[in-house]
Amino acid sequence: MIQSLYGQSSIMEKALNASLARNDTISQNLANVDTPNYKRKDVAFEQYLNNALDESNLEGNLTDKRHIPINSKDIDSIEPTITQDNSNVSMRIDGNNVDIDSEMAYLAKNTIKYNALVQLINSNFSKTKNVIREGK
Amino acid sequence: MGFFSSLDIGASGLTAQRVRMDTISQNIANVNTTRTADGTPYRRRDVVFEERTDSNSFSSVLSDATSKLNGGQGVRVAKIAEDSSEFKKVYDPGHPDADADGYVSMPNVDVVTEMVNMISSTRSYEANVTSINATKSMALKALEIGK
Repeated sequence: MIQSLYGQSSIMEKALNASLARNDTISQNLANVDTPNYKRKDVAFEQYLNNALDESNLEGNLTDKRHIPINSKDIDSIEPTITQDNSNVSMRIDGNNVDIDSEMAYLAKNTIKYNALVQLINSNFSKTKNVIREGK
Repeated sequence: MGFFSSLDIGASGLTAQRVRMDTISQNIANVNTTRTADGTPYRRRDVVFEERTDSNSFSSVLSDATSKLNGGQGVRVAKIAEDSSEFKKVYDPGHPDADADGYVSMPNVDVVTEMVNMISSTRSYEANVTSINATKSMALKALEIGK
């Protein structure tokens, strides 16, 4: 029972962690905007979540605990990872691919997402509190 | 990983840009300096940035061991390099440092280039300030969880 009350909070917590890690990587990208040959970093989390929720994806059957999961549908096993963007589409001659304007936009987006997640978690908790108080 | 690492990254960016700004100011201040300690005109200086990855420090080993989510450790100034381009020759026979033909070697500082670099440095500085402010607002928001 208590698990079902807090079940949603664990995935929210992961999303919060992913958002915090993304804030880290965006700060790192902005700090290194003038560093030659620096490649921008990002956090992959949402696409893993989408993959897990997409019913059309085939899931690899695990018959041994050492198997590598393929398209795992287990949401609890999703972990955010840090990726490096090695594409060199920028017009800069110093080998750096950080675009300061898009980083600022990502930063604003990430802050809003973080605030939204905090609000969702708070509303979850207040619902639980409401149940405990028997709606009084 | 935590809020403080983001703040440290932002602070390292501020420090690096400030060093760059100091160097640019030094270049502009010495745009007409024909005498330095080693007898040559002033040589333009430029900062070289590099990504900070001190894998030996205690905190980085700890964060690697406890979390896979390590965004990085910011930026640092690798060195302040001298620009080896030619000095500008200006015809001014009355100048005390003029050579036999009346030419004076002036520093290889181009004020317009320095001004452009200064604007770029200011923008980068502002970007780091914005990221620090965003981190601060997120940290304060996180304190509201469970209120």
